Amino acid sequence: MEGAHRPGPFASASAWIVAIYLVLPISIVIPVSMTDQRFLSLPQETLSLRHYATVLGSAEWLGSIAQSFWIAVASTLIAVVAGTLCAIGCWRISRRSTDLIRALMLLPIIIPSIVYAIGLYRYFARLDLLDRFAGVAIAHGVTGIPYVVITVSTALAAFDPRLEQAARGMGASLLQTLRWVILPRIAPGIASGAIFAFIHSWDELVIVLFIASRDVFTLPRRIWDGINENLDPAMAAVAVLLVLFTLLLLLLDLALRRRRDAR
Amino acid sequence: MAPAGQRQTGWWLLILPAFLLMTAFYVAPIAQVLAISFTEPQPGLGNYERLFTSESVQRVIGTTLRICTITTALALLLGYVLAYRIALAEARARRWWILVVLVPLWISVLVRAFAWVTLLRRQGLVNQALMESGLVAEPLQLVWNEFGIVVGMVHYMVPYAVLPMLASMREIDPRLLAAARGLGAPRQTVFARIFLPLSLPGLIAAGVLVFIFSLGFYITPAILGGGKTLMVAEWIGLQILDLIRWGLGTMMATVLVVTILATLAVFSRVVDLRRVFGSGA
Amino acid sequence: MSAAGHALALQGLTKRYGTFTAVDDVSLKVESGQFLTLLGPSGSGKTTILMCIAGFVAPTAGAVLLDGRDITALPPEKRDFGMVFQGYALFPHMTVAENVAFPLRVRRMGTAERAEKVRAALDLVQLDRFAERRPSQLSGGQQQRVALARALVFDPALLLLDEPLSALDKKLRAELQEELKALHRRVGRTFVNVTHDQEEALSLSDRVAILNHGKLVQEGAPTALYDRPRTRFVADFLGKSNFLHAAVQQGGAEAMQLAIGATPLVQRILPGAPHPAPGTKLLLSLRPEKIALLADGETADNMVEGRIATWSYLGAGFGLSVATQDLGMLRVTLPSWGAPIAPAEGLAIRLGWSASASVPVEEDAA
Repeated sequence: MEGAHRPGPFASASAWIVAIYLVLPISIVIPVSMTDQRFLSLPQETLSLRHYATVLGSAEWLGSIAQSFWIAVASTLIAVVAGTLCAIGCWRISRRSTDLIRALMLLPIIIPSIVYAIGLYRYFARLDLLDRFAGVAIAHGVTGIPYVVITVSTALAAFDPRLEQAARGMGASLLQTLRWVILPRIAPGIASGAIFAFIHSWDELVIVLFIASRDVFTLPRRIWDGINENLDPAMAAVAVLLVLFTLLLLLLDLALRRRRDAR
Repeated sequence: MAPAGQRQTGWWLLILPAFLLMTAFYVAPIAQVLAISFTEPQPGLGNYERLFTSESVQRVIGTTLRICTITTALALLLGYVLAYRIALAEARARRWWILVVLVPLWISVLVRAFAWVTLLRRQGLVNQALMESGLVAEPLQLVWNEFGIVVGMVHYMVPYAVLPMLASMREIDPRLLAAARGLGAPRQTVFARIFLPLSLPGLIAAGVLVFIFSLGFYITPAILGGGKTLMVAEWIGLQILDLIRWGLGTMMATVLVVTILATLAVFSRVVDLRRVFGSGA
Repeated sequence: MSAAGHALALQGLTKRYGTFTAVDDVSLKVESGQFLTLLGPSGSGKTTILMCIAGFVAPTAGAVLLDGRDITALPPEKRDFGMVFQGYALFPHMTVAENVAFPLRVRRMGTAERAEKVRAALDLVQLDRFAERRPSQLSGGQQQRVALARALVFDPALLLLDEPLSALDKKLRAELQEELKALHRRVGRTFVNVTHDQEEALSLSDRVAILNHGKLVQEGAPTALYDRPRTRFVADFLGKSNFLHAAVQQGGAEAMQLAIGATPLVQRILPGAPHPAPGTKLLLSLRPEKIALLADGETADNMVEGRIATWSYLGAGFGLSVATQDLGMLRVTLPSWGAPIAPAEGLAIRLGWSASASVPVEEDAA
């Protein structure tokens, strides 16, 4: 779109307003988290980090952060392995049946989590997976698969299928072809998928609300309780930490994409 | 067996883990939800009868449809404005504009709802500012009602609206716009006669996407509605967790799933989910 | 693997996709060490045949035999065929040396032996200095040579080439044709090449198989195909040709008398060819370069008068379109150096050709 047609002043001004609407409310938590008051407000006299100290000194918050982190790691592992292999298989076979499978893999994005959550509540009760690390990791892993399938499929769309044929024609087995030819080429796509699957698990609340209660108490769950019970500035501090972490992951993804595009 | 068939078994094996996981831990629980809606408390269509007889069920559905429609309309409007600006931006500026869309997209729903509560509640920053400036005498009721829900939901949905629209806008050949200007069309005409019609598929795709995502929304309405305005998802949660009415809850869940899948099926040609999540900076 | 080439045979090879028949009952033999080219327009099934040979496509019917052994059901990685893909399919994330080493690596060859073989293969294509480069840092011609080295490094039973030169510009293509031909002679292996470029087919191959609509139309040595096309399609696809519809007037032992309108023609009968009865309609193919410009008083077996309708200068020659009374528009090419006339539109000229210059061809089934 270079050069020829520029947006007019009205279009530009309205775009700026929308951008502010999108970004400002999120950034407002930063000053609020540094308030010197004991209730949610902007800093009155000085900036204070004591709410961060409260959070980082609290065994409960730290425990939830650790739990969320390990659940996200485990579920990302599940999603990446299953999603990547599935995307590769569908890409290579590429028939009507694999189109259907790919559509099946997208269901977790389409069907509201509440429906899955209540189903899982009953289903996991029978399997004795309620309030278990494994249960949450599986649930997050399965619902993370679509993100991996999508990013890996996108990466594969740019992959020349003749490279696979060339490898097979030269005597490479399926596993050798996967390891030496396909995976190295789509690694950035897999990394992208992993990042999104991780963020998905890290932020997920609805499923956790139903299948975890005491032993598994993730970070979003603790924030949820905090919002519903006591709105104090510590919540804002947690929010800022969460935003920073997500931003970090997104920047990582952006860097990976740029490296891939540069190739 | 033909060699092609032999060789494909290996590739089918790659699909297997995801397929088994998805079937055992995703499809099965959801199928169970659908089944329960027909079997509890008694087998039959009793739960579905409530769609026509129960006023509270109808009210929840009505509220949900109303809020979703308003949300979709607003998200499309704001999203279009943003997507238009991004599509016409230069490569360098475009990266920053896309970040404006992607960062909110991936920031926790909870954090965003919390931010809105901070801003909009009675003692919140907006009311404080309004009172101090003397514009209002009493704090406004900005949250824990439908207004709050819509503000939060639109905020959540704008990025989802932008991405499909942007994808379709970027397929528009910029030479067409230059040609129209060159042929003497003023800016507004170029937009109305060339750009808008060509970006319509993206607009429809975005509308479908935002609408179906809104239908099953739980967290934002729960936090910003304050329990007073119930949407379908929160109502389902209430039936299951607090009232233990599985039949009613699963019936509504089934209706929700069927509505979403039917909408998608109708618009399947224009909505490509891969476009939303595959497109990045 | 033995060092010599292997013989390949196709028996009744057929590939259908639904109701579409991509390859229709093709039988072919390639002798050990020969260079065979499958030539045809796009959609003629030539690439499908190559993919069947390589094992990427399973034929609907028929068999692929290597030295008499049926390998139809063998997966591609077990066939030990080297292949140069269209666009080369070099692995972009590996260096040239790694690319060439790949077939050895999958065969779990030791590092030292591998390095030795890679060096030898790169030497063969004169790329030893580029071993550590990435494919993207090479020119098209160099990439093509890497693909060749990679396909040859593991002493394949057969080398398959899928439009190996199509991505290159005209000049480079001619250069690499020479190299490819020399390479074939040096390694002495059986090569099967696919192309739609008739010049490439003629210059490279020992044998050419011409395909159209999935069927094998004619097969033979390049000169035989060019000079004695069996059908109109072959005559038209391989070079340029005029087509004349003539009626047999009188037969003979070695030649027959024909006529188009009031113009009499003489056509030599090839040994073993049928002797059509008078009244039979024949289709003759006549190459533009086999028609000569007759000087005043000069005679030929066949003579016709006409006027130059259009002409163009082609560097090495002139291309003329000559309007004639009975034969319609004739395409004629003359060497430009020492041409007896300066072409001009409307110029009246006399053309002539020998009785063996033209050849009867069959009309293709529609």
